[in-house]
Amino acid sequence: MYLLNLSFLQFLAVFGSISAFAVALYLLDRSRRRQMVSTLRFWIAAEQPAAAAHRRHIQQPWSLVLQLVSMALLVLAIAQLRLGSPAQSGRDHVLVLDTSAWMAARSGNRTLMDLARDRARRYLRALPGRDRVMLVRADALATPATAFEPDRRKLEAAIMASQPGATALNLDQALAFARHIQSQAGGRAGEIAFVGTSRISQREAAAPPPRNLRVLLVPDPIENCGLSKIGMRRSASDPGLWDILVSARNYGSQTRNITLSIDFGPGGAAGRVPAGSQHLTLPAGGEKEATFQYRTDAAGILGVSLSPHDAFPRDDRAELELPAQPTLMVTVYSDEPDLLKPLLAATPRVFAVYRKPSDYRSTDTGLVILDRFAPTQRPVADSLWIDPPAGGSPIPVRRVVEQAPFAGWDDAHPAAAGLRTKDFKLEHATVFDPAPDDGRIGEVEAGPVIVARAGHPKMVVFGFHPALSPLRYELAAPLLFANLLRWYSPEIFRRWEIAGGSVGSVKLLMDQDTLPKDVRVTAQDGSPLPFTVRDRTLDFFAGVPGPVRVVAGDREYMYSLTLPQIGDARWEPPAESLKTLPHFALSIDTAIDLWRWLALAGGAGLLAEWILFGHFRRFRHSRRLSPVLLRSKASDPEEVRR
Amino acid sequence: MSSAPLLDREFLEKLERFAIQWQKSFAGLVGGHNLSRFAGAGQEFLDHRNFHHGDDLRAVNWRAYLRLEKLFLKMFQVEPRVPVRMLVDVSQSMAAPHGQKFDYARKLAAALCYVGLVRLDSIEVHAFSNRLSQRLFATGGRHRFPGVMDRIAAWENAGVTDYLAMVREFIGTYSQRGLVIIISDFLDDRGCERALEYLIDFGHELMLLQIWADEDRIPPWTGELDLRDAETGAALRLDFDDVARRRYTAAFDEYAAQIRAMALRSGGRYAGIATSQAIEDLIFGDLIRARGIA
Repeated sequence: MYLLNLSFLQFLAVFGSISAFAVALYLLDRSRRRQMVSTLRFWIAAEQPAAAAHRRHIQQPWSLVLQLVSMALLVLAIAQLRLGSPAQSGRDHVLVLDTSAWMAARSGNRTLMDLARDRARRYLRALPGRDRVMLVRADALATPATAFEPDRRKLEAAIMASQPGATALNLDQALAFARHIQSQAGGRAGEIAFVGTSRISQREAAAPPPRNLRVLLVPDPIENCGLSKIGMRRSASDPGLWDILVSARNYGSQTRNITLSIDFGPGGAAGRVPAGSQHLTLPAGGEKEATFQYRTDAAGILGVSLSPHDAFPRDDRAELELPAQPTLMVTVYSDEPDLLKPLLAATPRVFAVYRKPSDYRSTDTGLVILDRFAPTQRPVADSLWIDPPAGGSPIPVRRVVEQAPFAGWDDAHPAAAGLRTKDFKLEHATVFDPAPDDGRIGEVEAGPVIVARAGHPKMVVFGFHPALSPLRYELAAPLLFANLLRWYSPEIFRRWEIAGGSVGSVKLLMDQDTLPKDVRVTAQDGSPLPFTVRDRTLDFFAGVPGPVRVVAGDREYMYSLTLPQIGDARWEPPAESLKTLPHFALSIDTAIDLWRWLALAGGAGLLAEWILFGHFRRFRHSRRLSPVLLRSKASDPEEVRR
Repeated sequence: MSSAPLLDREFLEKLERFAIQWQKSFAGLVGGHNLSRFAGAGQEFLDHRNFHHGDDLRAVNWRAYLRLEKLFLKMFQVEPRVPVRMLVDVSQSMAAPHGQKFDYARKLAAALCYVGLVRLDSIEVHAFSNRLSQRLFATGGRHRFPGVMDRIAAWENAGVTDYLAMVREFIGTYSQRGLVIIISDFLDDRGCERALEYLIDFGHELMLLQIWADEDRIPPWTGELDLRDAETGAALRLDFDDVARRRYTAAFDEYAAQIRAMALRSGGRYAGIATSQAIEDLIFGDLIRARGIA
């Protein structure tokens, strides 16, 4: 006989507390009651005073005994008293099933996951029927798939539904979780059984394994070479050229000769064009890198393949999405186009077309520059007006000044960023009367001479011609035009970096200081991912394979996190841990549950006490002596007439 | 004073068809609604008697004189206006154990006042403990009832019951016999039987309405009790069990039976009222059956 949920001392403590409370209530209920009454005459007639009598603390001892016995039975029922030995009770086991990416590797004609599932089911069948099991799927995270469950069919269904993930196994975390959940369950702790391979992530710290650990390893003598990292960025010298860096790793124990090849094209297998290949020799456990270059301005999918394929094909190919190189179309309406050509030719992502003002079309796209020309119909696209006639200026003209020294730039406006020059005079300039929301990029003493109007379309108006004024000799002129082009179309200056890797935690070292508010990290579906920025390092975690986009200022980083994360270390199970399937005695199910009968007996005892000594009896007594009888006699008409 | 009225309008409307009844014949002025055996200026013929000098000639039966040559005087039955007096116990015993008896007594007194006012009776109401309080005179019709109800609601518990002193004061105050309604728990340590006998002997008709709380008749407590008398403060400690409870209830019932027997023996009425009984059930049930009202 033993207590399943409470030890004997715990049982005594609980029962002692409840008994003390019951006795206190009993004494309070049955102790002398102070009561104000209308008269004492009937009380005196009912009973002789007991003032001199010895006070009886316990007036109805059988009532108290019945209550205490009933409560003891109920506490024993809660404690799940059973007949038998402690070894005959059910235990709570935690089955940790490896669902790391490596479990997708093939061994013969089956995957490691298939073998692990078989082992887990065999372990489950070897357990006694009374035992409860919790299934925990373990990769980089430990995820419970069931609660502590006695139903073997549910557990087998959960095992069969387990699939390899995309991350490496964090075994320490999984075992710590299993130990914690087992201690919280409150039942009798059983085993922690790990079913999987010994390939784990090297980053985890070595922690002492639990003493009740059983390790059912799945053998994985598999040779594997795979892509480990891919990086792409546009060449610093040639914006149309992509520099591609590919890393490959040999996870096996033998030297391998591999071929890395890249191809480019739209999504899917059709229409892809080979773009290069290299042969590498990878020593056992070694990693090598290969560089490629590929020229394209078009958007498409760049594929990286490793051959020959092996038993773990998931890391033999990766695909990265390349964005198109954006350009800005500029249409210049001028009678002297040579004045503006040097300013526009400095930016390679700008394609300028020069036309006569007589050829003006208001439907041009991109950016329209109107040189000393005011059309009757304003362009629908963004526009730059240079010294427009007073009657056709889109910004009202305040006055015209001569020989006006340039006063300064508005540092707050992005088009004037970094401009300092002001040691020049404007021989002839138009001063505008801007709206309150307009930006005053450059000013003379009489007012603004370069005005920017945000919105759609954007508009900038010069009150003088920059190529016909002393400004053309200053460094500020090309900088101003570069700033204006960035203000009109910031995407043409955005620089791209593309990387391929595995899911999990990603650390990004940014090229420039960027405020966290200017950083956005989004998944494929546009949902934001959590991240931290410290100094110039950005950290984020991607739990599922797919592309991740990081925008930091004018930089955009594309991560194609489709490669599986493979553990690069081997775990040695502790020598004292069990390593075979368990064999339990068949006599375990013979323990007899008593709690139902104890609960019934306790309830019956309390009911009997209530009927024999409690309010039930008083209530019945009061019903038996109902005042209705007296009133009916008193109001009998026959007697009244008498 | 309680802010809520003792009785609501709906209940009062149900009372309008009733009238306070009494059995004895009392002398009084014309205008009542109960017949009297005393002759007077009524409409219903009662009897003949010989004419005596000084009798009203208008009442002589001249047809009998023509036939018998003797003067006979016709006597008529009268329905006199008899004074109704109501004595309501406000002693401290009425407040024990939880004040239900006192509230019930005030409501019952107010209800009977309304019945009397509707029938244009004159009701003189006194609260009492060991002496009578100032008289509350309810007369003049139903529109006087709000003032009466406010006065009754303003009563407070006080004093120790002394029926003998109260009855002496009552007899000394009122010489005209009539109906006396007593609403009380009749719990006087010195006994109320003798005082009630005085009232009967004086010629009053008694309507005794004995009110008790359920705890007064069947105490629900068990075990060792430390009891204290609400009026005298006397203490009593005893063991109380089911046997003692039965003896207690028997003693109480015996005392109530004595009160009832005294009322019936003198031609009066009696009703024993538990406060758990709704006052509507009392008025429309027990009081009608006891012919206290009709």
